[in-house]
Amino acid sequence: MTCSQIAEQRNQLTPATTPKTTAVHVSVEHLSKNFGATAVLKDVTFSVAPGEIFVLMGPSGSGKSVLLKHMVGLELPTAGRVALDGHDAAAATTRERVRMALVFQSGALFNSLSVYDNLALYPREHRLFNEAGIREKVMRTLQILSLENAVDKFPSELSGGMKKRVAIARALVMEPSLMLYDEPTSELDPVMAATISEIIATLREEYHVTTVIVSHDRELALGIADRVGILMGGTLAMLGPAMALRSPQDPRVADFMNPKINLQHPRFKQLET
Amino acid sequence: MKPLTAFLDGFGSTWLLLVRVVSHSGSLPRQFHRFIDQCYLIGYTTMPIVAILSFFIGSVLALQAGYSMQNFGTQQFIGSLVGLSMARELGPVMVAILVAGRVGSAITAELASMKVYQEIDALETMNISPARILVMPRLAATLVMMPVLTIIGDLVGWFGGAIVADLTEIISIEPEAYFAVLRRYTHFSDVLNGLIKAELFGFAVVLVCCNIGLNTRGGPREIGAAVTRAVVVSLILILVLDYFVTQVLMLVSS
Amino acid sequence: MNHVSQTARVGLFFLLGLALTWVTFQTLNGGKVFRDKGYRLVAGFESLRELKKGDEVRMAGVVIGSVEETRLAGRRAEAVLHIDRTIEIKRDATASIVMAGLIGTNYIGIDLGSAGAPPLPAGAEIRTQITPDLNTIMTDLAALGNKLDHALVTLTGSLAGDGKGSVGIIQKIDLLVTENRASLARTTTNLQQVTDKLNRGEGTLGKLINDPKLYDEMIGTLGEIRRGAGEAKSFIANAQAIIDQVKMGQGALGALVFDQKAGEDFKSTIANFRAVSDKISRGEGTLGKLLQDDGLLRDAQLIMKKAQRALDGLEDSGPITAVGVVARGLF
Repeated sequence: MTCSQIAEQRNQLTPATTPKTTAVHVSVEHLSKNFGATAVLKDVTFSVAPGEIFVLMGPSGSGKSVLLKHMVGLELPTAGRVALDGHDAAAATTRERVRMALVFQSGALFNSLSVYDNLALYPREHRLFNEAGIREKVMRTLQILSLENAVDKFPSELSGGMKKRVAIARALVMEPSLMLYDEPTSELDPVMAATISEIIATLREEYHVTTVIVSHDRELALGIADRVGILMGGTLAMLGPAMALRSPQDPRVADFMNPKINLQHPRFKQLET
Repeated sequence: MKPLTAFLDGFGSTWLLLVRVVSHSGSLPRQFHRFIDQCYLIGYTTMPIVAILSFFIGSVLALQAGYSMQNFGTQQFIGSLVGLSMARELGPVMVAILVAGRVGSAITAELASMKVYQEIDALETMNISPARILVMPRLAATLVMMPVLTIIGDLVGWFGGAIVADLTEIISIEPEAYFAVLRRYTHFSDVLNGLIKAELFGFAVVLVCCNIGLNTRGGPREIGAAVTRAVVVSLILILVLDYFVTQVLMLVSS
Repeated sequence: MNHVSQTARVGLFFLLGLALTWVTFQTLNGGKVFRDKGYRLVAGFESLRELKKGDEVRMAGVVIGSVEETRLAGRRAEAVLHIDRTIEIKRDATASIVMAGLIGTNYIGIDLGSAGAPPLPAGAEIRTQITPDLNTIMTDLAALGNKLDHALVTLTGSLAGDGKGSVGIIQKIDLLVTENRASLARTTTNLQQVTDKLNRGEGTLGKLINDPKLYDEMIGTLGEIRRGAGEAKSFIANAQAIIDQVKMGQGALGALVFDQKAGEDFKSTIANFRAVSDKISRGEGTLGKLLQDDGLLRDAQLIMKKAQRALDGLEDSGPITAVGVVARGLF
């Protein structure tokens, strides 16, 4: 299914409703985070404009996921802060002001609930609609992501790609103004990865939602990102439009983006010297 | 130093969890289905093992008491001994220990796995408090089910004692005589005393088990460690709490 | 399993718990909360002994309430009794503390009172009566034995003074009888004869002859004493058996009932009592001499009255006499 088909289908399903979410402005200000003696983030500063797709890249262990958790207040900064429309993400009240959804790398679906109940949890708990309204909303969202057949399944019965899509669907039901994705395309085959990328881009088109993606999928970054930040060793090594990735200035970034497999001088041997 | 800070950490976070649960207690009616689910797990499915255990506790109590009381020819007072011991002490403590082992461990395992697999984090980003939808229904169900389990345990224990007192040769107390003495020396206030204790034990155990589950860090391996810790902490807590609660109840009732 | 059946099971389970609690409550407390519309009476005692809160209040053996509170009020101890609303207690009913067992269970026993008397209002004070407990009975018995012993010594002394002494009672009687009728001088030891003669007698014996009522009373009292002695004998036999039992027990129950010293006391009391009763049984022949001495007569009357009262006391405490208490505790 292509992006346009999805958009078309969605328009057919919801002719009357227009996106009501107002995209949020994210601003990371001098953020530092230590775990014990280890500094994971060192004075990171950048901002994401409303409605923008921002892709945060970097090698494993560079602190990308930690930075993402700061944006939803799951981690508390050692210094600095993350502001969402000016509200500190670490404050408990911010979650009530800014509706945000995080798609976890693992999906983090509720294993004890069926797919339907996973999606219905948020509107039920926050009493957004009555049960009929919730059913309509959930079914529509599942259709957008071609998950109608999975509605009564449990997460353990789903494949990796389906789990990711259910996780996205669950985030989508929340009608967030900030969507965060943690490695949405990892562990997926290239076609499924491309599909997910298309879905993310389409959702931004439809909902005008601010999107932050943590990934090291180059295709995704080059394909849908407005801007890209590259995190290395706890600091931003590069920050700029996606096009800049094609000709990086920093040799480390260049190596990260286009690693050459060199059997004569393997990297792990260079590290030893 | 590390065990001490860990202890203080756990102590503090348990109280904070309690505060959060209480602050959400208004939404309990909306958690009715979860509450019923938990009642079913904590009460209904735990009842058979409570009955079996209490029966044998009452039996062995009568047997041991009969063995030592025959030295003085005071076997006819076995009913009062079994009645009071079951109602005031063994009933509530045994039920609490069973709940710790059967329910508390399951709660910790479930919440720890939810934590490890980021389900708890997901709830938090969805602005749904885990204290509200996970902890509160369990605590409320515990409060409702503990007295039910305890009264069943008490009664089954009494009957176990009666049967053993009747059938054991060295005791040979007719059930009528056994229950006459039991009724004469056991007052409902003793039973009530036990129900209050059970209520407190159950509440403390479930709260602590929830807290340990929610504060699990690391990978799946930590789930097992968390369950072990939860059961150990629960057992210690029950017995320590037992001493102090008994003291307080004696002060209050005298 | 669907939600409905699960909810139903949980609901039924909870109802089962409630029902069991209710049954337990009814069985153990007899549903007292809902009959709490009873009223209160105050009973004052010199000592509440081992009475404690929660003990039963019984009327003619039927439980009609409980001891709600025990307290000290000035120079006495008070028990507040909670009486069932449906029970009427007559104004002349008497409350006493009754021992129901050896290991310290007491209850308050209230007698029925007279049928015509008006009922006691709530909050009123009920008449109380002190029933002797085991220790008091022992002490009283010892004192009684001593007094009887002493009286007998005096009596024997008077008789022994006979023979050559000028103050001997028999000599006096001798003289008296000789003055009136010589044939009576040789029959001084025969009481029947003496009294026969005394019917017509004069002088110091006139008192008895002039007052036949006093004489009847004396005879009656003697009968009482003899009966009392008989009863005391059987009591002693019982008590002896109990003491033997207790001594054999030697352990917890022995210590509960009396210590070694109390046992000894009890024994010597019994010995005294037996000597006294033996002497009284043989006392008929000396009656004339007894009657001749006014002072002796009064002494004997006093002692007999005391003995009678003591025996009455023993009889009146009904099934819970000392023997009853001990026997019930043991057997």
